[in-house]
Amino acid sequence: MLGLHDCLTEVMAIPGALDAMLLDQTSGVAVVASGAPDGVDTERSAAALTETLRATMDGLARSCPGDTVRIDDMLVTTDHGHHLLRLMETAFEGPLVIYVRLDRERANVALARFRLQDISTRLLA
Amino acid sequence: MAALDTLLAGLAKERSTGALRVGRAGTVFLDEGRVTYMECAQTPGVERILSARGRMPEAALRRLQTDGGTERLLAEGPVTLGELQFCVLGAVLDAAFFLLPSAGTRPKFRPGERHWLGGCWYFDVRGLVRECARRRAHLALIWPSADVDTAPVRPVPRLAGHGVALSRVQWEVVTHADHELTPLELARRLGRSGYSVLQAVRELAAAGLLAPAPSGEERPALPKRSRQAARTKSGPEGGTRARPYQESQPGPAPGPEHGPGSAARADPGPGVRLVGPAVTADPADLELLMRLKKALEELA
Repeated sequence: MLGLHDCLTEVMAIPGALDAMLLDQTSGVAVVASGAPDGVDTERSAAALTETLRATMDGLARSCPGDTVRIDDMLVTTDHGHHLLRLMETAFEGPLVIYVRLDRERANVALARFRLQDISTRLLA
Repeated sequence: MAALDTLLAGLAKERSTGALRVGRAGTVFLDEGRVTYMECAQTPGVERILSARGRMPEAALRRLQTDGGTERLLAEGPVTLGELQFCVLGAVLDAAFFLLPSAGTRPKFRPGERHWLGGCWYFDVRGLVRECARRRAHLALIWPSADVDTAPVRPVPRLAGHGVALSRVQWEVVTHADHELTPLELARRLGRSGYSVLQAVRELAAAGLLAPAPSGEERPALPKRSRQAARTKSGPEGGTRARPYQESQPGPAPGPEHGPGSAARADPGPGVRLVGPAVTADPADLELLMRLKKALEELA
């Protein structure tokens, strides 16, 4: 059975993973995090990612009327890397979010997405 | 606020193990100086959350408490380890948010006592305090007035616009609000954390989706316009008071070196740094600002 710390360890084992974090979408708190890169504060980063997700959900809610929006995962590619977020429903409110930043050169997004799916099902089963 | 904080910090320093009972408000459980669990009378605990989500009846959980504990809970499988850890984390942070500021009764420490759900997750006291402060600041950012936190939740019967997007918690708040339940009572009924409901209620208030308090209730009176305040606008030494608002807006946050005269201009007291507009928690001020905002919107 996977605990939250093991979950983070497995996420960091994804090829090309630079840093990772688990966060609570409702409150914006960082649950566990690998070491953040220089100049990045983990707590702020968690709160900011929460806002990103909220904005995305708001935007999608407006663009697909007649549909309740539930995000499974979200991928953002920037100049320097890929940012992958996966949302999981839990017994507590959540959703619990796995965030991982991937190296643009070394990472395989499809593989990373697949691995995140696998990790999240094992975390909740 | 400081009392419970400092007491906990002291216990953490001594690496104590036991339970700190804060009157009827709640209990903090520590293990070698780290917080393992926190109960607060105002917020739902893990047992309440799990039963509200239909994972396990509260009675069954209470049986487990005396017989088998968390190991058996995990073995029987209504929750996974990750979920239980996350649930404890959420419940403790929520309890801390409401328990830490309470400073009524004298807390009593009983060494050696443990909670049956302790050991799922460990918190350090400083981190808890920091997180509570962050949450408080976030709430203030959404909607500055704390009045809605304690008043019964009354959603407006009609929308001012054509449509609105609600988040999940907001939806639950709107559907369960019976114009009598306060946010924390709603939280207990929903099995949601108190903080998430407060957050949703403040978001609703900011979106103008909450009805104002009925006229029977006392509205805070408008603050009297003082002569001195009027004079600062035109007086010879004018501007010295209102300045901090303008000063702090453009450019990056001002560093410690403001240039000469800055210390005399804004003296927020020792240890307080003015970044951004001065913050006021006076409900009268907020009320006035809200009414002004509304009036301006109606004009536009």
